[in-house]
Amino acid sequence: MPAPSKAATWSCRLRERRRLTAGTFELRLTRPPGFSYQAGQRIALRTEATERDYTLVSAPADENLAVLVRLIPAGRVTPFLDQAPIGSELLFSGPNGYFCLRPDARPVVMVASGTGIAPFAAMVRAGARPFVLLHGVRTADELYYRAELQPAAKHYVPCLSAKALLPGGAFSGYVTAYLQTRLDPQPCDFYLSGRMEMIRDAMEIIDARFPDARVYTEAFF
Amino acid sequence: MKVYTGTGDRGKTSLFSGERIDKSNPRVEAYGDVDELNALIGAILNVLPEGRTTEAEQLEQVLIDLFHVGACLATTSDGQNAAAFTDLPAEKTTWLEKAIDRMDADLPRLTRFVLPMGHPAASACHLARCVCRRAERRVVRVCLETEAQGGDQPYHGIRGYLNRLSDYLFVMARYCNHITGTVERTWGG
Repeated sequence: MPAPSKAATWSCRLRERRRLTAGTFELRLTRPPGFSYQAGQRIALRTEATERDYTLVSAPADENLAVLVRLIPAGRVTPFLDQAPIGSELLFSGPNGYFCLRPDARPVVMVASGTGIAPFAAMVRAGARPFVLLHGVRTADELYYRAELQPAAKHYVPCLSAKALLPGGAFSGYVTAYLQTRLDPQPCDFYLSGRMEMIRDAMEIIDARFPDARVYTEAFF
Repeated sequence: MKVYTGTGDRGKTSLFSGERIDKSNPRVEAYGDVDELNALIGAILNVLPEGRTTEAEQLEQVLIDLFHVGACLATTSDGQNAAAFTDLPAEKTTWLEKAIDRMDADLPRLTRFVLPMGHPAASACHLARCVCRRAERRVVRVCLETEAQGGDQPYHGIRGYLNRLSDYLFVMARYCNHITGTVERTWGG
């Protein structure tokens, strides 16, 4: 677990932009010498307008840094990140946050909505095992990093909210519906990452069905 | 980032170490008191007599220390994240003692109980002192409950720090009256 510290400012360069869906992309960034972090931590990317938090999806031992970005066309930061030329210098502060996986005997249940999968991608890339992973998205093309996450998970459950043809093993509905109806009550550690509405609804179910659970949250806005 | 989450609307809250507990839990009462104390330390800073740089810097350090105390109290020793927020070191208490001694050297000898009043900064210090004592009592309760459940009593450093901080606030109250020429009224005198 990282000790609390004053966040430093770092400089990096944009190395690669990889489109994942029409509205999301992964940015690969050079890693400034001396910058270290733990899987699950965030950096705050700066633009002239403001700064925004992004959880690193790269593993702490990786050569480069990577973040997952959902384009918000009217936003002040993501259109810039969407268009910045490869090689551009970017400033960021960090690492920030405490949403890190800790070794524990209790079963780990990761619950993500949308790009809230980012910290779990980093944790799994850093070697986290075993775990149950619920990933809630609208359609199957938004199941970011599925090829890596599914083989590593004890149970990987895509939860698709759109009424469409379901891929094998997918659950039709929100992650909260899966928590309510499918997951057996037991003492476990929940890690919730994604939209605040999901976190709030999941917490209500956990309080009712998993009274001995520990819960860690990371809200994405 | 939004301030409201709605995850506590049904009377529960999450400790930093992950456990979901009732908001009436003694641990929540303890870090709530520390939060209240910290807000009062901020209020003292606003009414501190002009030019008291040393005392202002001390109080700003106390603000930081109390944030750490709150985080410790929100983290169970057997829970996750425990390593991130360890007990305060004894040096923190020693630092307060030195600050107390420096102010005390300038003060008239204490022969009677002083009434909690005087300069606005002195009154704020007395108010903070009372809350500090309550926070200390609540921390002691958490410690005793931890021990009753088979654990070692935690927070030796925090208990020492809070005990000494209330002394510091008492002396600071007298000091604020002294340096502003405010009469210090005593009980029965």
